[in-house]
Amino acid sequence: MSLTQVIFLKELRETLRDKRVILGVIVSPLLLTPCLMGAVIFFGSKKAVEQQTATLEVGIYQEAEFPELTDFIETNESIEVSRYQSRDESIDAIKSFQSRAVVVIPPTARSSFQSQGTAPIEILYDQANENSGNAHGRLRGVLNEFNKQQIKSRLASADLDESFIQPTQINSTSIAEDTAVSGFVLSIFLPYIVIMGAAFGGLNTAFDLCAGEKERGTMETLLVSPASRNDIVRGKLYTIFVVSLLSAICSILGIVAAISFGQQIVSSLFGESFSLSYVNLAALVAIVVPLALLSSAALLLVSTFARNPKEAQAYIFPFIVIFLFPAALSFVFDAESPLYVGFIPVLNIALSMKQLLSDAFDLPFFTVTLASSLAYAWLSIRLVASFFQRESILFRS
Amino acid sequence: MIEANKLTKTFRDRKRGLVRAVDRVSFNCQPGQIFGLLGANGAGKTTTLRMLGTLLEPTQGSATVAGFDVVKQPEDVRRSIGFLSNGTALYGRLTAREMLEYFGRLNGIEGAALRSRVDELIEQLEIGEFQKGRCDKLSTGQKQRVSIARSIIHRPPVMIFDEPTTGLDVMTSQTIMGFIEQCRDDGLTVVFSTHIMSEVERLCDQVAIVHHGKIATEGTVSDIKVQTGEEVLENAFLKIAHELDAKVAAKE
Repeated sequence: MSLTQVIFLKELRETLRDKRVILGVIVSPLLLTPCLMGAVIFFGSKKAVEQQTATLEVGIYQEAEFPELTDFIETNESIEVSRYQSRDESIDAIKSFQSRAVVVIPPTARSSFQSQGTAPIEILYDQANENSGNAHGRLRGVLNEFNKQQIKSRLASADLDESFIQPTQINSTSIAEDTAVSGFVLSIFLPYIVIMGAAFGGLNTAFDLCAGEKERGTMETLLVSPASRNDIVRGKLYTIFVVSLLSAICSILGIVAAISFGQQIVSSLFGESFSLSYVNLAALVAIVVPLALLSSAALLLVSTFARNPKEAQAYIFPFIVIFLFPAALSFVFDAESPLYVGFIPVLNIALSMKQLLSDAFDLPFFTVTLASSLAYAWLSIRLVASFFQRESILFRS
Repeated sequence: MIEANKLTKTFRDRKRGLVRAVDRVSFNCQPGQIFGLLGANGAGKTTTLRMLGTLLEPTQGSATVAGFDVVKQPEDVRRSIGFLSNGTALYGRLTAREMLEYFGRLNGIEGAALRSRVDELIEQLEIGEFQKGRCDKLSTGQKQRVSIARSIIHRPPVMIFDEPTTGLDVMTSQTIMGFIEQCRDDGLTVVFSTHIMSEVERLCDQVAIVHHGKIATEGTVSDIKVQTGEEVLENAFLKIAHELDAKVAAKE
């Protein structure tokens, strides 16, 4: 057994005895994440259903009678209508939540309507209030329905068919399979969560294996053993890598589990059933390997430089910027991005994941991503190895 | 044996500029002998021993340990030494036995030979009772016994002790000093640094007084007392240190 293997196996054994690692890397992504996601989906869908079925209070302020319209609004069962005498009173009613939105009918509205013209109708609402926004949407729906009926009646009286005002009828047919649609939805948020898992999963381990050892004095014990500095760096790096990879895999499995358990709720919300093929799952894990290697090397670099874990925490900000920012950028970048984006660390991995999940796999982009990520990881490892050779860093006091 | 020849270590400090932590330190230490480095905190003892242990590389000068050059053959040097200091701690989440097995493997001992050597040390140092206990749960004395076993698992011909009793209670200190004497009796080459005079008087065959990175004087404890005209080693040490400080002040 090589000395690197001896160190790796010992570090892994110690790491797996660390309750913080077990909790953060395995328990949290596999149990807490699905529970939290389930709770968010459950309460989100409950609220959506409530918003769709609840009766909303709305108002009408008419400067002149328009019974055809007001009768139509008042017969709708999903709204409760109050009458107001002025515009100011209507605004006050919205502000005091008596009515969520008010339909304003100007004096000329009915005459325009009766002369086959277009009646101007206004809806007052508060854009900054969620319920008011819902009421606005509901009123627009009611008014659109009124418009449809009136158009039908006008066309009938002019002896015209409905096709007269509809020169074309547009139907859209998506050729995407169900799994691709669900993959696309997954591709929006899954890369971010997986990157967080890979980047921060190894954090405690990395800080413990170097900065922690310096503080506890075990680093000196190890340095006087026959193991070379390179053996030590490799042994520690492989341990952090395994933990980071495990964290990323648990993040993926946690989300897949959450989606599988919440299948019915998700289907009712998005109208699609979620599923992830084993091939996509394996590809996700494969693409996360260079990322885990890069983040492990970066974390070990921070840990080597710091004198103790507390100091390492203070140096973590640049690390967060390097990993969190590109991961967050993946929300706004399209899966189909230009080839040069494949050279941007972390973001390239996130976009490759997006491509894999949404059936937009781009081999040249994937190759550039894989090659550049491995190159960055190699550079980081070299940097860590050189840090380990420098007494001024290793014995900083 | 150990041969240090004009060992020098400098480093750059933001406030003090170029600092000479160890300045042309030379000494020889033979098998079956305890060589003591006596000095105040910051005198350069730890830096000297770290250079011998290949933790630090000398800026100038050279040293051989068990015939191996500390710069050119660092891994061979580390295979030949047992290093014990108040800073060489144990891994908290390993058991005492696992700790010994780990360092055995790092020293190239495996399989039946490893099991046999670990069993031997567990018996010799009376670790059996707590061999399956995690190191972070052990008492200071128990930890020290495991540290001793760790340092000699590979039967090194040279032992380096850097202030091994600092911060320990009397009982544990006695165990350590007994172990150092045992190393000498077993024919090992022993280098030992301390600032505690009684330990020097009890253990050291040869002693070098280190002050401001330099060896101020070297000899047996009796030689140093005669040389300074003092009957107590502590007074002899202080006299030498004050004389050196006065010389430095006069130069400046």
